[in-house]
Amino acid sequence: MFKKYQAFSFFLALLLFLLPAASQETFCKQIANYTMDVKLDTEAKMIKATEILSWTNDTGYSTNELWFHLYWNAFQNNMSTFLTEAERRGRSVSGFKKDDWGYCRVESIKVVANPYFQEYDLMPFLEFRYPDVENLYDQTVFSARLPNAVRPGQTILLRIEFESKVPRPISRTGVYKDYYFIAQWFPKIGVFQDGRWNCHQYHSASEYFADYGTYNVRITLPSTFVVGTTGEHREKIDNRDGTATHHFYQHSVHDFAWTASPRFLEYTENYEFAPGKQTEITLLLQPEHERLKDRYLNAVKNAIKYSSLFYGDYPYSTATCVDPAYNSRSGGMEYPTFFTGGAYFLTWKGIPRPEGVTIHEFGHGYFYGLVGTNEFENAWMDEGFTSFLDTEVYYTAYKEPLYNRSFFGIPVTFKDVKIPIESDGISSHRQTYNMDVLQRFAWEFLEGGSYGANSYSKAELMLRTLKRFMGEDIFARMIKAYSQRNWFKHPQPRDFYTVVSEFAGRDMSWFLDQFVYGSDKLDYAIGKISSDREKKPEGWFDGEYIKREIEANRYQSEVIVRRLGEVKLPVEILVVFEDGNEVRETWDGQYRWKRFVYQQPSRVQKAVVDPEFKLVLDINRTNNSQMRKPNRLAPFKWVSNWLSWLQHALEFFTILGG
Amino acid sequence: MKIFINFGKGFMTTGKTTKMVLFLFVINLLFSLILAVPMYNSLKNSLGASEAGNRMVESFDYIWWEEFRDEAQGLETTFTPSIIGKGAILTNLESLIQMRFFSAPPILIGFGLLYIILHTFLAGGILSTFNQDEPRFAVKEFLQGAGSHFLRFLALMLFSWLFLFAIGAFLHNAILPIIDDISSDSYSEVIPFLLMLALNVIAFFLLLFVQMVFDYARIKAVLEDENNVLKATGKAFRFVFKHPFSTLGLFYLIFFLNIAVTVIYILVKETIPQSDVLTVLAAFFLQQLFIFALIWIRCLLYASQWELYRYLK
Ligand SMILES: [Zn+2]
Repeated sequence: MFKKYQAFSFFLALLLFLLPAASQETFCKQIANYTMDVKLDTEAKMIKATEILSWTNDTGYSTNELWFHLYWNAFQNNMSTFLTEAERRGRSVSGFKKDDWGYCRVESIKVVANPYFQEYDLMPFLEFRYPDVENLYDQTVFSARLPNAVRPGQTILLRIEFESKVPRPISRTGVYKDYYFIAQWFPKIGVFQDGRWNCHQYHSASEYFADYGTYNVRITLPSTFVVGTTGEHREKIDNRDGTATHHFYQHSVHDFAWTASPRFLEYTENYEFAPGKQTEITLLLQPEHERLKDRYLNAVKNAIKYSSLFYGDYPYSTATCVDPAYNSRSGGMEYPTFFTGGAYFLTWKGIPRPEGVTIHEFGHGYFYGLVGTNEFENAWMDEGFTSFLDTEVYYTAYKEPLYNRSFFGIPVTFKDVKIPIESDGISSHRQTYNMDVLQRFAWEFLEGGSYGANSYSKAELMLRTLKRFMGEDIFARMIKAYSQRNWFKHPQPRDFYTVVSEFAGRDMSWFLDQFVYGSDKLDYAIGKISSDREKKPEGWFDGEYIKREIEANRYQSEVIVRRLGEVKLPVEILVVFEDGNEVRETWDGQYRWKRFVYQQPSRVQKAVVDPEFKLVLDINRTNNSQMRKPNRLAPFKWVSNWLSWLQHALEFFTILGG
Repeated sequence: MKIFINFGKGFMTTGKTTKMVLFLFVINLLFSLILAVPMYNSLKNSLGASEAGNRMVESFDYIWWEEFRDEAQGLETTFTPSIIGKGAILTNLESLIQMRFFSAPPILIGFGLLYIILHTFLAGGILSTFNQDEPRFAVKEFLQGAGSHFLRFLALMLFSWLFLFAIGAFLHNAILPIIDDISSDSYSEVIPFLLMLALNVIAFFLLLFVQMVFDYARIKAVLEDENNVLKATGKAFRFVFKHPFSTLGLFYLIFFLNIAVTVIYILVKETIPQSDVLTVLAAFFLQQLFIFALIWIRCLLYASQWELYRYLK
């Protein structure tokens, strides 16, 4: 009986995995493969599921334990590492009632017999682990000790029964009314790397890391629900009991998230983003946002088209964009082939919403999805690269956005105030540049603002500076090569360094180190400009007394350029004379300042350091130029605008007086 | 008909006392200039000799402004792109209705308060100017009138704040939590948006209503030399409730005139590029004309209400 069952279950598992995997060519080694049968109980807000995991040890080391994430346990009490850190960042949860907390509990976990292993119950050998923070209330990571090691090249098969309670919306997960957003919801195996398990606890300021594999998922839920997930929707079976079972499948991805709601408007379109290359776009829209359908779809199309052009053709057959429900806290998040945007029902031309967030989250499909950056450890290589991607795509596909402000909930744009690409992120970088360095574990930044400003803004600004420094063409080839060469590879900072140096034709660590491992500021300035008539020679010259009376018709001009920050980069200087003559200089930026002296027939009109605006990381751009004659109209113009606001304010507020 | 007759009369009276409007306008301008000087210096220092100055004349240098904003202190924090054109009016409307002025820089709150008190003083002058058989503006009489009514008007102002405070407290503590509850259980942002908008509109109309009632209280105080603030207020309420159509009709006629002038100003202002000395000056004069027009309309409101009150008594 036992042997029979063993043989049967092995055969079953083989069928479950090999059939779907063989039916389609995959893009990479499928290390962690999940076949899941999921039931969503919308009354109890519970998920009950069976997970069959096939994991292959693709390293040169053996391991006699397996480590898993149980992310949702971060939401089971307020003492978890996630919620402790969230509180420190001023984002504590409050008012959670008994039914609002969420969790993920393993009910059973067994090794399924296969040629390498015998059937074995692992339940007695589970242990919660604290690799980052010793916090006994935290149950977001557990390990299972195996009876014998998984040797290099071997595959182990596990059958896990688990139960997840869907929390009230928190951190892109949960249920709000009848909208479910389900992410990081199942026992998920960590990454075995260099003989160690890379499996961090769930942190408030951190995202995820996992190996690639195939997800074969069946979800049963009320038949009125529209479902969206990672990957392809293979079929929907009506169970004739008010429920339906949806089957989804995707290979070569490292996560699986899903959403369900009876209210979604669903739009599907095939989109050819390059000759002969197409993908199926699905948009799940809130009914209140119906008028935004085209803006959303166009944003997804632009994202696919330009990301493919800049970072390699999008390889998956689907891209699903979810317009998150109000109050669901699920907006602006990425999962493989599946992402959430975010919109407000009122938006006009010039306001980059929902476009900005849609492009950003699709863009994660590259540096989080395809490249598989370790977001716990190298957040900047995902968020920074993706922020760079989203602005590059946005400014290619659309006009410069306009400054806008909301009055009484109605957004109002200011057509005279265009927001240039160079401004993206510089303000937050300016305020946090000396708090942290880029390369740091996501939960180890001084504060939430510094995590954001470094991982998103500084990294984006560094890439844009690098782009302009290397030259657009070389950079474009470099960044595409970095992306494509590292698909499915989990690159480290050094892998990026290698590609940059290769395309630059020289070692570029001197450039990158200053930003990746440094926390100094970049600030060049024009220190001083002056122009005077050349002096008349007067005194003894070679024994002859000379005093020249005639005024020279030439001017002696001086330009002093200063380096106010510690970051050293070579920089260009443009000096313009009043007769229109222009002189261009370069300076290595090594010492603190440099003086340039000219004898010219006319005076200096202005001097500009970094005239092409290559160094977008420069935290003070205003001091990069000096004119000999300041523009006097500018302060008058703007104080007069401000004055009329003040006059109106004073007059208006007399409503309160008499 | 009553409305239009008295509107016409008020219009004539204000026309005859345009000098007074000019006087009030100059006070507004001088008062504002006191703060404009430090602001001018801040802008001048920040722009320095940078090319950002040129860009700020051509249009708006967003990168410069972010640098300015990140360093801004006190008054400087009020310099944002949202004070351009329509933004100025919307900013003020929002900060009045939502009482956001409490978060303004202290120097501005102080100045604002001073100006409101000053204006309460001036209101006495305005009404005593109208309280002549042949309304005519003379600085001496104006100031005499202002002085003689100041204490009563000040008391009326403080009294009106009680009403405003009560209204604000009611809306904030009784109505807002209901809207929050609905919002936290709403399918979309549309319903919360509409409810908040309605709340703002209601708050604004209540604010205007209090202003109108107290206008009549002030008129009563001057016209009938009513010294008792409570009595004046009570009678003003009774008057308004006795003649709701004519009082509110007249008020909103002038209110919509104000809106019309504001909209025209915004539209014209948007066509002025402000990219050289001439257009900058043109915009400046237009802005001043607009403020002058608003003060004129405020006087028109007083004059028409004055006429209506006499007409109905
Ligand atoms: Zn992101």
